[in-house]
Amino acid sequence: MAQTGIGSAEQYNYEIIKKFAIMALVWGLLGMATGVYIAAELAWPALNFNIPEITFGRLRPVHTTLVIFGFGGSALFATSYYVVQRTCQTRLYSDWMAGFTFWGWQTAIVAGVISYVLGYTQSREYAEFEWPIDLIILVTWVLYFTVYIMTVRRRSQPHIYVANWFYIAFILVIALLHIFNNLAVPVSMFSLKSYSLFSGVQDAMTQWWYGHNAVGFFLTAAFLGMMYYFVPKQAGRPVYSYRLSIVHFWSLAFLYMWVGAHHLHWTALPDWTSTLAATFSIMLLLPSWGGMINGIMTLSGAWDKLRTDPIMLFLITSLSFYGMSTFEGPLMSLKSVNALSHYTDWTIGHVHSGALGWVAMVSFGSFYHMVPRLYDTRLYSTRLVYVHFWLATIGILLYITAMWVAGIFQGLMLRSFDDYGNLAYTFVETVVFLHSPYVVRALGGLFFVSGVAVMAYNMIMTIRKARVEAAELDAKLAAKMARI
Amino acid sequence: MIKHESIETNAGLLVVLTLIVVSIGGLVEIVPLFYISDTVEEVEGVRPYTALELRGRDIYQREGCYLCHSQMIRPFRDEWLRYGHYSLAAESQYDHPFQWGSKRTGPDLARVGNKYSNEWHVAHLVNPRSVVPQSIMPNYQWLLENDLDYSDVQDRMRALKVTGVPYSETQQEYDSNVAEFGVDVADQLDILRAEENLMQQALANNYDGQHGRITEMDALVAYLQMLGTMVDFSKYDEGYFTDFR
Amino acid sequence: MPDWMLWITSHGNSKIVALLLFFTTFCAILIYVYTGKERGVRLESYKYMPLQDDETDLNAAGGEEEMHESGKN
Repeated sequence: MAQTGIGSAEQYNYEIIKKFAIMALVWGLLGMATGVYIAAELAWPALNFNIPEITFGRLRPVHTTLVIFGFGGSALFATSYYVVQRTCQTRLYSDWMAGFTFWGWQTAIVAGVISYVLGYTQSREYAEFEWPIDLIILVTWVLYFTVYIMTVRRRSQPHIYVANWFYIAFILVIALLHIFNNLAVPVSMFSLKSYSLFSGVQDAMTQWWYGHNAVGFFLTAAFLGMMYYFVPKQAGRPVYSYRLSIVHFWSLAFLYMWVGAHHLHWTALPDWTSTLAATFSIMLLLPSWGGMINGIMTLSGAWDKLRTDPIMLFLITSLSFYGMSTFEGPLMSLKSVNALSHYTDWTIGHVHSGALGWVAMVSFGSFYHMVPRLYDTRLYSTRLVYVHFWLATIGILLYITAMWVAGIFQGLMLRSFDDYGNLAYTFVETVVFLHSPYVVRALGGLFFVSGVAVMAYNMIMTIRKARVEAAELDAKLAAKMARI
Repeated sequence: MIKHESIETNAGLLVVLTLIVVSIGGLVEIVPLFYISDTVEEVEGVRPYTALELRGRDIYQREGCYLCHSQMIRPFRDEWLRYGHYSLAAESQYDHPFQWGSKRTGPDLARVGNKYSNEWHVAHLVNPRSVVPQSIMPNYQWLLENDLDYSDVQDRMRALKVTGVPYSETQQEYDSNVAEFGVDVADQLDILRAEENLMQQALANNYDGQHGRITEMDALVAYLQMLGTMVDFSKYDEGYFTDFR
Repeated sequence: MPDWMLWITSHGNSKIVALLLFFTTFCAILIYVYTGKERGVRLESYKYMPLQDDETDLNAAGGEEEMHESGKN
């Protein structure tokens, strides 16, 4: 059953994983750099340069699409193809289908980004792709599902490992969300523009059902799949509790789908819906922390690894940020807290503590583990992994602290009254206050993206080293053959 | 005895069970919104957009305004003082898609209509800092330079008609609009007269201050000046709206 | 719409419904997963799956000794 490292290159389809991994880094760098740029635009509006294509309103979906779907999506394709092959000990079901998912996905990202800067958008957050691109994504996703499930079905292991459950739930839910949230009527067959099928309150509910579950299943469940494979592998120990992972999986899958309406507290959405969503948001804390504990406790009895292994440091820190933001989320879903936090930068900070702290960090850790194995070599530099780790951690801390200050103080300013019962501040006075936090936030982003640049360099050098080693090996073999 | 092993050794069963588990939440929360009559208030005055306002709304979406401006006033005292009456579900019933927003980098716009003059809006959009020195909004000077493309406005209205917006194409549809909204509004909702109506509204009001040209600025300002003006709140007792919350 | 659906959507009942739904499911899973010693041992034995795929690993982070445990099951 067990395979040697040398044989695995032929046994598994690693080429598709390499492609996705490289694109994840490319999109990550580009998307995060765009994020830094639009953060700077908010601090210094002159950076909009009077050019329509690079104004904040058009670049913001470029940033979110590149980091969520470009970076996150490619990282998920890469790791899911790796995990499903390794845990099922079988090759991907179909090479051409897997290849199609690569080209389909990358086409959608490129087309999406170009269409946004040209002003074509559905104006639904995180679902800005216009209808032709939605169709490309749909086809890609159907093939992804097929490849994944068929690979699982021809596994040589009797059991489907827990990481695969999370990846499967992610693929299924994203299909559901994508289809229902993008129901729209195109202006004509030759127009990129479309109007969503639903309107007003129903449209808002559908969009945030999508929006929050994209967070729940794209940015959480799928990355938990990553966690359930890479944390045990990197630690060289099995996951803390398999039984906990069963409870974790089913309760997370069930609870997440209820909570989207907490994005619509105090709006024209009927109270019963958002109250229900808030209730479930509080309950969601349990499985979230169950998962975090399961991941972190995997290291129980081997905590010294944190001192010697920077990859482990990435993985465990990501779980800590996961725990922090899944605590902050339910807190912000309370109606009284939400009244203050909603519409402010606190939300932006919360998203980034999850996105940078959890999603990006767990991906970095997994990539540092996976990429050398894909190329059958060792990592070029462990020291650079430490450099990356500290750049990333400092960046995140600057970012979320700045956004807490910005969000909480703006919220307080907007609701404060003077002795006569009039508003104490005009809106634009709060905008003036936001300048300093916005500068700090951009700086935090800059730290984070420099870390990714260090990682990209480390990866390029690792791949180069692998090529040199392979060439040397070939030369040795050739020499041996010649002697005979 | 059902074992968890039967799920984890059977991909099909795992898929089916996962689908069931993840569907419940959405079904319970979304489906009733389409059926419960209390979800959207019945108020007078809310109408679909005119052809010009619709093109303005398209530009609002194109420029990503919704990323920094909400259109959803919450029922708090500070928002009441700053923006006006809290938003009703009825006020966005023709919004495909909704533009409630999720972040206020700038102020809420749900009731910005008629608060400022057309000249103020034009000056503000061309260079926000000329009227609000501390503003961090980008300049949108191209709105004044670009002629409005309204060649496909009828297609746009037809697409919206498919989604359920009562734009009219037949005499019968027109008559029912007259009955519901009155003759003036019904005329504006007539798809066949869309281009004519659009030009007429833009030239008569001259939102952008430029004579003889219809620019994107005309459309956007027409849209902004309409926002939040449809419902006459003096007609209703406050208790009426709270029943729908 | 049937009466039970109206009951669910009325503000006062929604929390009760949610809690009932959640707890029955949750408790059933908990009872199943955490009762029965044999079942516990059996379920825990599946966690070694990802560690069974390769033995010679250039990058192994010193986890070789644990890997042999998988043989016990």
